[in-house]
Amino acid sequence: MTFQIGRWTNRLRAGLAGLAGVAAVAGVLAPGAAPAQDYGTFPGYTLKVKLIGGNQYDPLYTRIPEWEKLTGAKVQVLSSKNGFDLDKELKADLATGAVNWCAGWDHTSFMAQYGELYTNLFDIVPKATLGAFLPRTLDSAVIDGKLMLLPWHTDVSDMYYQKSLYANADNQAKYKAKYGKDLAPPDTIDDFRNQVEFFANPPKMYGTVFAGKEEGLNGRFYEMLLSYGGEYLNKDDKPMFNSAAGVQALQFFKDIYAAKAVPAGTINYLWDDIGQNFASGSIALDFDWPGWAAYFNDPKSSKVAGDLGVSRAPAGPSGKRLGWSGSHGFSVTKACDNKPAAVSFISWMTNYDTNMLEAHRGLMPANAKAFDDIITEVKAKHDDYMTNVFETWKVSLAEDAYPVPHIAQWIEISNASYPEFQAAILGQKTPQEALDAAATKATQILEDAGLLK
Amino acid sequence: MASSRSGRAVPYLLLLPAGLAIVAVVLVPLLVSLYSSFTAYNMTHPATLYRWIGFRNYERLFANSDFWWALGRTVVFLMVALNLEMVLGLGVALLVSRVTRGQRLLRTIIMFPMMFSPVLVGFQFNFLLNDNVGLIDNLLLQLGVIHQPIAWLVGTWTANLSILAAEVWMSTSVFAILLLAGLFAMPRDPLEAARVDGCNAWQTFRYITLPYLAPFITIAMTIRSLDVGRAYDMVRIMTNGGPAGRTELLWTLMARVGFDNAQMGAANAMAYVSIILSITFSVYFYRRLLASRRFLGEIA
Repeated sequence: MTFQIGRWTNRLRAGLAGLAGVAAVAGVLAPGAAPAQDYGTFPGYTLKVKLIGGNQYDPLYTRIPEWEKLTGAKVQVLSSKNGFDLDKELKADLATGAVNWCAGWDHTSFMAQYGELYTNLFDIVPKATLGAFLPRTLDSAVIDGKLMLLPWHTDVSDMYYQKSLYANADNQAKYKAKYGKDLAPPDTIDDFRNQVEFFANPPKMYGTVFAGKEEGLNGRFYEMLLSYGGEYLNKDDKPMFNSAAGVQALQFFKDIYAAKAVPAGTINYLWDDIGQNFASGSIALDFDWPGWAAYFNDPKSSKVAGDLGVSRAPAGPSGKRLGWSGSHGFSVTKACDNKPAAVSFISWMTNYDTNMLEAHRGLMPANAKAFDDIITEVKAKHDDYMTNVFETWKVSLAEDAYPVPHIAQWIEISNASYPEFQAAILGQKTPQEALDAAATKATQILEDAGLLK
Repeated sequence: MASSRSGRAVPYLLLLPAGLAIVAVVLVPLLVSLYSSFTAYNMTHPATLYRWIGFRNYERLFANSDFWWALGRTVVFLMVALNLEMVLGLGVALLVSRVTRGQRLLRTIIMFPMMFSPVLVGFQFNFLLNDNVGLIDNLLLQLGVIHQPIAWLVGTWTANLSILAAEVWMSTSVFAILLLAGLFAMPRDPLEAARVDGCNAWQTFRYITLPYLAPFITIAMTIRSLDVGRAYDMVRIMTNGGPAGRTELLWTLMARVGFDNAQMGAANAMAYVSIILSITFSVYFYRRLLASRRFLGEIA
């Protein structure tokens, strides 16, 4: 009986705290309110969360104790795994219906799968909070009018290059003689292909390196396809990537692979392998994510430190620049027993201060003011490299970035497609054969899901 | 009469908790997974567990050449890995059994590879075999053995052999330790009798040591045949079945379909077809075990 009373008292306390939280969050965040945000108070409440784990995320989680102190709530981290393992766990939670937690990691490339897990944040997050995000980044987290996550930092790829290779007079003369153009960071995909092949001198130097498997390869193909004027799925969700544009896109990877302008092992590489390769100094150009910016310029970890330039992603014949984008973020479960506390938590974990913390580590903020302020800050420090990084990525995020197709089957289609793309790159199939096979598999997946008749 | 009946029930009552536990943790999951293999079960849409699709998952599977290639590759991988590990493990065990000083230290050192998690082994070999920044290619290039790097994890043969090498490195010690225990358990009398009768070292090994070790070898093979599935993590890190399916094994394929793609119904259908493989290996090794025990006179 004592247990029963205690449990009901706790529930009542949590409920009241929740109501207080709603009032505080909604009231203070209403338009026109003071900029200092009130995150509410939730004394005695324990917020259960599932977060992405890994060294790169630990600095972000130093913000959690501050939120606990501010609100009186406690955070219980139920799970902290890498993104792919956490994805499996979230699916298992969905399958078993065992969702006894409130807030969790999410990503724009994965979020479409979690439609039954996470709630629409437009319904529970105040507009003033949403107004602080970069518009294009926030838009990429919307599916069918539902806001799936609040981004804490955002990603799109731009070009890293070794400046000394471009400053070399001999390289400049040879390039001009061969291609009839000045040697400058690639502005088009044709420039990119030419320069990758021009700089390649294996095994001492390779032109570039690319993600050769899983979603990494499909994502790179996806943006190349769009730049060549193709579309991945049409408006009825029918796969359209086995088009002439698709062949051109896949041919790009096949050509630079056949020319030995990339390490042969790139077909097995993912992001860490790519970063390590570029940092080793044996790669001329690396089309990569902003999270590497600080690492590449650190002499302790990179041989190209101090010799780095960055430029905007190249554009294809369609005029569209490469712009596959994704954002890590936080979501709130539909089953959450205290949504105001969860909203307070994810708002805190994505607010200006959190974004500045991430920006100081070289990551791209999702908060508009944080983006402006970090640029001002690095300029004041005369850090030309980081100024260039932030300014370049700001333009890319504002003008070039777009998310993957918003279908829950994106990862499944990636898994079905990438072995076919690999077969084409390795010369086992023609690009058209590989694309047709991949499109057949993708069609079957979408038919099974009821998206195609 | 009543007391005699209740007396007969006692053993069954005592066994009941264990029986219930086995039903709960083995039989029920097996039945549920078998049922789900006839459904369109997708983990992200729990309601699909109740969408009955008959044999469609199995029909697709039988028409899927990728699955059959993965199954065949897995059988070959199992047979080659197990036999290599057995031969190497036996060699190591025989050598260590002859060491008179520092044997304990040697036994501990032998066990090091099995202490590594398969994920870590995968990362280690991935780094060693990287064709641009990897240690092996750089060493070979520096020594002038090769002039262009070898993409170990790309070619069909080199990629499969690389995975095999990682698996053998990690697990040979399991065989070595089990067979070493068998060598220590061997009676000395037959060996001494063989020496008195003038048998040479090979004859002693072939006709005395090996038959005595046969039950240990068979038990080790049985355990390892089921355990090689641990190599999933390692293969996942090194190649994840690629490139272009060249190193795809059943475990990487099933895990991708079941967890990455959330198609648990289809993955369970694969599991039920491939379970034939496990049963075949288990029955084969069990028969070998009986035969070797019969040879040693342990059973009639």
